[in-house]
Amino acid sequence: MRQRIFSAARRMLATLYPLAVLAAIWELLSRSGWVSPRLMPPLEKIFSALLADLANGELIFHTGVSFTRAISGFGLAVVVGIVLGVLMARVRWFEWMFEPIFAFGYPVPKIALYPVFILLLGFGSSSKIALIALECTFPIAVNTYFGIRAVSARLVWSAQNMGAGSTRIFFKVLLPAALPSIMSGLRVALPLSMVIVVITEMIGESSGLGYYITYASASFMYASSYAGVIAIALVGFIMDRTLVLIRDRLLFWEPSGAAQASKLSY
Amino acid sequence: MMSRQAGYTALRWAAGLAMPVALIAAMQLTAGQEDMPRYVVAPTDIAATLWQLLISGDLVDDALASMFRSYSGFVLGAVLGVAIGLLSAVWRQAQAFFDPLVSTLYPVPKIALLPVIITWLGFGDVSKIALISLAVFFPTFINTLYGARGTPVNLVWAARNMGASRVYIFWHVVLPAALPQIFTGLRSGLALSFVVLFATEMVGSHNGLGDMIIRAEEAMRYDWMYASILTIGLLGFLSDRALLAIRRKLLANKYPGEAR
Repeated sequence: MRQRIFSAARRMLATLYPLAVLAAIWELLSRSGWVSPRLMPPLEKIFSALLADLANGELIFHTGVSFTRAISGFGLAVVVGIVLGVLMARVRWFEWMFEPIFAFGYPVPKIALYPVFILLLGFGSSSKIALIALECTFPIAVNTYFGIRAVSARLVWSAQNMGAGSTRIFFKVLLPAALPSIMSGLRVALPLSMVIVVITEMIGESSGLGYYITYASASFMYASSYAGVIAIALVGFIMDRTLVLIRDRLLFWEPSGAAQASKLSY
Repeated sequence: MMSRQAGYTALRWAAGLAMPVALIAAMQLTAGQEDMPRYVVAPTDIAATLWQLLISGDLVDDALASMFRSYSGFVLGAVLGVAIGLLSAVWRQAQAFFDPLVSTLYPVPKIALLPVIITWLGFGDVSKIALISLAVFFPTFINTLYGARGTPVNLVWAARNMGASRVYIFWHVVLPAALPQIFTGLRSGLALSFVVLFATEMVGSHNGLGDMIIRAEEAMRYDWMYASILTIGLLGFLSDRALLAIRRKLLANKYPGEAR
């Protein structure tokens, strides 16, 4: 037991030490006077700004707004992406119609369509959520498609042989076998949702963390702006770790997802 | 038999083109009508505008400015990512520092640093290139590290057995083994570089395609807007194809299966 606590503590220290080194360098630069302390405020100032904005609820409000947008767009993309991916893998004419769109659209920066989304849906949350959903649908649909297509035919045959119907085969064979690939698609898409939400909030918006940091640095409140960066970092990090936890729960037969952090596909 | 095959292919093409053609036809037919909003522009008009902008050179200037930023940022981030990734693969101290750092910061949107980097480096090209290279660094580093670490240990043993030096093993065993995954990292980095480029140009810039889209929208010149959106999409697509072509060339004689 004690040994386990020790090894867990050591692992945590090993993870934290590079961050601590960076923080020390930051503090040194900020105190040395080589860099203007307004550009690199000492950590203590950043944390007091963080606490102050947490206490008056401003940071919590903007974090809530950004998080809601990101997770709504992502949730939409999960549903649409998995359904499209499954249909592409199983229905031939559907594959003919949609596979070229995903193959050609994958490397295209979808964010360039943001002005069109604003024209269609207006400023505010709906255009942002729609853009996040569009951007996240691509990796999810493509990974679902390849995941299901890669399921060994032998598995399907043996299930058929034992008398399983097509619905049963889909839910009991195809979907579980494709789940690792689907999950790695989700893992690619989730950080993307945060990237898109922050970008869209930087452009003509009055709420959300993207707006918060832009506004703070435009009004020379650099400590607050760094506090916003920390908030975004924390949200992105916690979302990713939550997804990894869910993945490891669902895919208990696969090795942990943290190890293959970015095995991107396609 | 032959004709049946041809019919099959034709059907497949028709299905693939159905949605794009339907979208273009719908825009063409509804554009300019009374109750349609102004931002529905006929594709023929967009094509004419695109051609005009190309000839007058306006579009070319903005496209070149964008390409300069995104490619310099990409190359800088890619070189750093591959170099530090390989260093971490062979030197344990470097890995102990960079691996946890990058894994922790990987899901963090680096774009959040945009306002901060602008206050440091100004509104010019430097801040844009710095942010793009930062975004490209992360996927490149992780994929390089895991690709190099995934070198089959049998190959290393075999090389060592035959008397190869550490340097020789690095260049001729580890690097080729890591190459496929390095390209996976580069490819996601390239896609990210265009997203970040667009964001930096929309927020604070006076030229480039991202800025052109905003200018066109403000001036209600929706045909310009679509023309620049098409250009940035095309640039992203062609850059990706170019990277794939390089990958195929480099990997062709090493991994017949991998290169496709």
